[in-house]
Amino acid sequence: MARSKVDPFTMEIIKDALIAIGDEMFVATQRTSMSTIIYEVLDYACGLTDHKAQLITQGNGVTLFLGTLTSGVQAILDKFGLDGLEPGDIILHNDPYTGGGTHLSDVAQFMPIFYNGQVVGFAANKGHWTEVGGKDAGSWTTDSTEIYQEGLQFPCIKLFKAGEVDQSLVDLIAANVRTPEMTLGDMFAQAASVRLGTRRFQELCDRYGLELVQAGIEALLDYGEEMTRRELARLPKGTYEAVDYIDDDGLGNGPFKVCVKVTITDDQFICDFTGTHPQVPGPVNCSRSGLETGVRTIFKALTDPSIPTNEGCFRPLKIICPDGTIFTAQRPAAVSTYWETVLYVSDLVWKAMAPIVPDRLPAGHFLSVCGVVLAGKHPDTGDLFLLVEPQAGGWGAGHTKDGESGLVSVGDGETYIIPVEVCETRYGVLVDQYGFDICEGGAGRYRGGRGLVRDYRITADEAWYTGTFGRHKFRPWAMDGGQPGSPNYTRFIFADGREPVVVGKSARVHLKKGDVARLVTATGGGWGNPYERPIEAVQEDVKNGYITLEMAEKGYGVILDQDTLEVKGVTKERR
Amino acid sequence: MLRVATDIGGTFTDLVCVTPDGQVITGKSHTTPAQFEKGVMDVIAASGIQPSEFASFVHGTTIVINAITERKGAKVGLLTTEGFRDILEIGRGTRPDFFNLEYRKPQPFVPRYLRREVRERINYKGIETTPLDLSGLPAILDDFRAEGVEAIAICFINSYANPAHEEAALARVKELWPEVSAVASHQITREWREYERTSTAVLSAYVQPVAHRYLDRLTGALYEAGMRCTPYIMQSNCGVDTVRSARQIPITMVESGPASGVWGAAALGRLIGEPNAIAIDIGGTTAKCSLITGGQVKLNTDYHIGRTETSAGYPVMVPVVDLVEIGQGGGSIAWVDEFRRLHVGPQSAGAVPGPVSYGIGGTEATTTDANLALGCINPHYFCGGTIEADMDGVARALDKLAVALNISRQEAARSIIRVANNNMVNAIKLISVNRGHDPRDFTLIAFGGGGGMHACALARELNIKKVIIPKQSSVFSAWGMLMTDLRRDYLLTQIVELSAPEAAAQLDRDLRQLEEKALREYVAEGIDPARVHFLRYGRCRYQNQEHSVEIILPGGEITADQVKAIRQRFDTDYQREYTYTLDAPVELVAYHLVAIAEVDKLKPEKLPVTGRKLEDAIKMQREVDYVEAGIHLATIYNGDALEPGMSFVGPAVIEEAGATTVIPPGLPCQVDEYGNYHIRTNQRG
Repeated sequence: MARSKVDPFTMEIIKDALIAIGDEMFVATQRTSMSTIIYEVLDYACGLTDHKAQLITQGNGVTLFLGTLTSGVQAILDKFGLDGLEPGDIILHNDPYTGGGTHLSDVAQFMPIFYNGQVVGFAANKGHWTEVGGKDAGSWTTDSTEIYQEGLQFPCIKLFKAGEVDQSLVDLIAANVRTPEMTLGDMFAQAASVRLGTRRFQELCDRYGLELVQAGIEALLDYGEEMTRRELARLPKGTYEAVDYIDDDGLGNGPFKVCVKVTITDDQFICDFTGTHPQVPGPVNCSRSGLETGVRTIFKALTDPSIPTNEGCFRPLKIICPDGTIFTAQRPAAVSTYWETVLYVSDLVWKAMAPIVPDRLPAGHFLSVCGVVLAGKHPDTGDLFLLVEPQAGGWGAGHTKDGESGLVSVGDGETYIIPVEVCETRYGVLVDQYGFDICEGGAGRYRGGRGLVRDYRITADEAWYTGTFGRHKFRPWAMDGGQPGSPNYTRFIFADGREPVVVGKSARVHLKKGDVARLVTATGGGWGNPYERPIEAVQEDVKNGYITLEMAEKGYGVILDQDTLEVKGVTKERR
Repeated sequence: MLRVATDIGGTFTDLVCVTPDGQVITGKSHTTPAQFEKGVMDVIAASGIQPSEFASFVHGTTIVINAITERKGAKVGLLTTEGFRDILEIGRGTRPDFFNLEYRKPQPFVPRYLRREVRERINYKGIETTPLDLSGLPAILDDFRAEGVEAIAICFINSYANPAHEEAALARVKELWPEVSAVASHQITREWREYERTSTAVLSAYVQPVAHRYLDRLTGALYEAGMRCTPYIMQSNCGVDTVRSARQIPITMVESGPASGVWGAAALGRLIGEPNAIAIDIGGTTAKCSLITGGQVKLNTDYHIGRTETSAGYPVMVPVVDLVEIGQGGGSIAWVDEFRRLHVGPQSAGAVPGPVSYGIGGTEATTTDANLALGCINPHYFCGGTIEADMDGVARALDKLAVALNISRQEAARSIIRVANNNMVNAIKLISVNRGHDPRDFTLIAFGGGGGMHACALARELNIKKVIIPKQSSVFSAWGMLMTDLRRDYLLTQIVELSAPEAAAQLDRDLRQLEEKALREYVAEGIDPARVHFLRYGRCRYQNQEHSVEIILPGGEITADQVKAIRQRFDTDYQREYTYTLDAPVELVAYHLVAIAEVDKLKPEKLPVTGRKLEDAIKMQREVDYVEAGIHLATIYNGDALEPGMSFVGPAVIEEAGATTVIPPGLPCQVDEYGNYHIRTNQRG
């Protein structure tokens, strides 16, 4: 049916219904999951593609999965073809080196949607499983050297065949993961969600007919493209470059140079990462799917964040990067903390474009997800506990606003940090403090937002801490004369009085009862010369304790009375 | 003696009064924002009734939500556990608008310098690990006084498990500063999650002085005018409460207006045998919908003020009727975007200038204007005949859209209705389909000024078989208040693994204690214990899950057999909601006790049948454009002349002073014994 003949309001209704399916799958997964990483952190995405693997709609909790569903479906088509699929099949996939895979912990399930005997689309759900086996509890780690240490690999295999679960596969998974109940619970929650998506899509076809639904899909994709192109046309044409450095790979190698050249033409947005460091021994590599996701995320932020996400939005995008770099690693490179590097992809384009698009892009933020795995035996029950969580941190100042304090990174989204009270009940820790970290960094005409400090005091007899805090050496970048932010780090304070240890990336640090892991996230970069910050704003900051008296004087050149906060004068630098 | 309910809305203050012989008096006055109680006294006077004649008085108000959204509450100081003063500002760190890198977090209601710490600590088991040290409190309170603080909120870590430190701190604050308004988090909720609980305490403190002043002035004015009954205040949980209790925790009034409409629909459904219903209230600026199952309204304890797709909003941990509200009402403005797509709302023409048809300055076509143009609303009986609709203005406004869309004027009007209906259909899907319910299993109960106009179209889009338009549909929310009992919700986080041997004994003890506490509080307010009954709920989940399913728990003593039955009920409910069950341990994570004290509420009377003929109710015939069903010559009925037992088939329109009901061709409509209209929408015309 030609689109022009379809009544535009029916088309709107079908478009809305398609978007609603993605949302409904998303909510269903959140409500049924067993692991905090899904139900609080929302580290998963659901969506629909058409039979040609074009993304129709995606329900997201985080930015990181943008693009992975599409290439996942492509991988299925490559392996099985449409003829190799039956109604009721559900395919399991987490291979980072073929389409859509990121790291082994992110497991995707895909269900072909059959209508009148033919495949008309796919329902997909990709989520972070707390456990997929591998050498370390929680599966991801900071010191693996090849993929085989990072857990089970599911290279596009059928979990359900024509509606029947493959029990051997389920048993195999159960036997190879540390928390079989949680892992299988999440696995079945995902399966329920793709079945729901399939059913809803079929109902939509029943209601409007397949032809009309397919016309609706085309209209939705075209709408995404049209809206994106309109925004793209508003960006100034030209070439913009950025260079940055990744601290290390967790094994002591590094730093690694990464770079981008962004070219904006009339109808294309080209990101060329040629010149980026080759893949590295530690697990900070990402594969091409990761690279694509990182670019798509920032492209979305640069165009219009409110456009519904679908394949059409990304038609103007072109990505260039040779194989075998830290952004395009090849088998069997270790990839388990791939997200640290994906975030650099987004951040590089961000940094290149911030001077050009200041109303959409602030200065650099804490960037790292600051992922933590804390494992041990719960002191009450003796059961294994696994605290897996991201942190919130400081965001950079904008060109007309201070940075946000305590906000999750660009890699996260509708991510909820775990409440202290839930943490203390569930895991063998006490939280001694959770607040802003008032430290040097982020001064500017507009101030960088504050990072956070969160203390875990171990109450179990012993526990193991793994943390990946990037931007530990290379701090959040500033804009226009502002001061860079502060570093991310973990400080271990030992009950036996040993010298505290400060680290960025750490693997399985052995802690004993009473030891404290202090998680500190960065303050974001400042924007503009700090001496231009109005005196009243500096006074207000001191009153609220966002900066100290010393910082007011040293960083901003404003001398205040320590009791009354009255202005006693300004330094000669400020004058 | 009269039963009276008043409801303060954004534009109007409504009144419904039922006389002993069942006669219903309604009234409307302008809302008076400077002194809301004046609007209440005005509407009472305008309705020609005397407070001295009141047998009961129920009041609903938007004063609490307004104070918050307009930021007109008190200056609040917050006391927290040492190390946690930033909890309020950190929130949950979430970025709901995640591709927007310029996202701004909601501003905290207490600035950092007014968030002060107290040394103390209780662990998650409720055991004190650091004693409470209040030695610094006098100095903190001095600072608060100097800064002009008017209300104090207290929230300590793990106070849900043991509120002793909060209680002691609150007592000391009151001792040191008796005049200040103060609240501690455990007084409102005993649920875990420190940010949400802190936010709840802060917002309650924020509205406390405003609410106190208002309630005191209102009751003062009513008593002075001769009222002798005890007034009740409508709560967000669909119950009413005493003024004393509402004064203490005013945040429970936050959704008092919408709650009464939903409750009214549930009460009506129970009365006429429609226990499963979707309630939709279509007003001037918004439409609100909510799901009713088994005659029960659904409450939401994950309620946030101002939460949208692009903002995290502010959590309030009190039970609030579970509803979805969208900016879609009679006054919603139609507009065309740069891609020539038509949108309706969320901007509203409000009361001033109002729709174009009001003729007082509006120039942008609204949903009401489209309904006039299509003939659904009678231009000569507009707003009950008080206004002659400006149809020339409507034509001009529609022509602007028609040009922009390159369609006819008639098509423009139809398109507005279709877009508005589609927006409302999506809102209904959010509370039904997205929560695992099929709208086809429900009856649509529609009310508010626009309820009857859109209900049949919505029902057909959703395959709903039956629509009910209540008799008093334009003031139905106030009517709902007359159907309520006193209701208090007690929530307590407590983890009990159901398979543990001591589970039965613990459930029994905890529930009994909660019930005793609730009863004690009622009795202390002079309420007859014989009128109090309880509903017990438990929030259960598979171990390690976070989100729980609320299930009914049995009354009386809990035995091991009953624990088994609870587990079975959980599996059944879980299966229905999520399509699968697991062979994993189940834990109860929180109790939810509902304590209801029956009040002498309205018992609706059946309407008399005088034997009047249907023909006598016919006003005229006119052409009505039913959009999907095309243009038909419709019979126009005078709603006031219809009586029980009458029935007819569309195309028809029922006109009443405050409401219009549009019945598409072929759909049969029947008047029930209470005067409500039942329309079967599964007939094809």
